[in-house]
Amino acid sequence: MARILSATLPIAYIVLRIMIVLNWLYGACLVALLSYSFINEPFLMRALHLASPSENPALVIGVRAIAALGILTVPLNLAMLKRLLAMVETVRAGDPFVSANAYRLNAIAWVLLSLQLIGLVIALIGKAVSTPAHPLHLDAGFSPGGWLAVIMTFVLARVFAEGTLMREDLEGTV
Amino acid sequence: MAITVKLDDLLHDRRMTLTELAEKIDITLANLSILKTGKARAIRFSTLEAICQVLGCQPGDLLEFQRD
Repeated sequence: MARILSATLPIAYIVLRIMIVLNWLYGACLVALLSYSFINEPFLMRALHLASPSENPALVIGVRAIAALGILTVPLNLAMLKRLLAMVETVRAGDPFVSANAYRLNAIAWVLLSLQLIGLVIALIGKAVSTPAHPLHLDAGFSPGGWLAVIMTFVLARVFAEGTLMREDLEGTV
Repeated sequence: MAITVKLDDLLHDRRMTLTELAEKIDITLANLSILKTGKARAIRFSTLEAICQVLGCQPGDLLEFQRD
C-alpha cells in the first residue's frame, strides 16, 4: 500500500504539471478561435453550415458566447490545478495536515462549483440556439458525478480543517 | 490564560530541577518546558499522575485557576 502511494505521488505531480500546460494551450486555442471568428467570419459560417450571419444570428452569438465561457474556465482550471499541486508538494514534504490545505480544498470546491455552473450555462445556450436546421451538439450540462465531486470536496475541506485543528491540539498536549 | 501551571514553585520547594523531573517521569525536557511555561494546550492524565507521583503532590497543587 505504501509503495503504491509513494508511486502515485510523483505521477500526480507530473500529471498536474502537464495539465497546467494543457490548460494554457486550451485557453490559447479558444482565444485564437474566438478572435479568428471575428477576423475571418466566413470561416465560422462554414463551420456552422451557414450562408451568412443573418441566416441564424442567435447561433453565431451563442457559439461565440460558449467560446467566451470556455475561456473563462481557463483561470478557474489553473486556480484548481495550482492548489492541487501545492497540496501534493505538502504531501511530498511530509506535512500535509496544515490549515493551508484546508483552505486550498475549500477553494477547489468553489472552483468545481463554478465549473459546474458554467457547464450548465453552456448547455442552456446550446439548447437555446440549436435549431433542427443547424443542430449544436455539446458535451455539457448537468453531470451527477460533477456535482457529487463538488459536495465531496466541500465535505473533505471541512474534514481537513477539523483534522488540522485536532492535530494542533494534539501537538500542544503534554 | 486562566489556568496557570505552578511547576516552577513545586520544583523549587523540592529542590529538584526540570531535567531531573523529566528523567524520573520519562517525558522529554522540551515537553516539560512547554508545560512549565504555560504554553501547553492540554495535559494528559498520565503526565499529571506521573508528576504528582514524583513530586508527592495533588493535581490542585500543580494547576491554579485565575479569574481574568
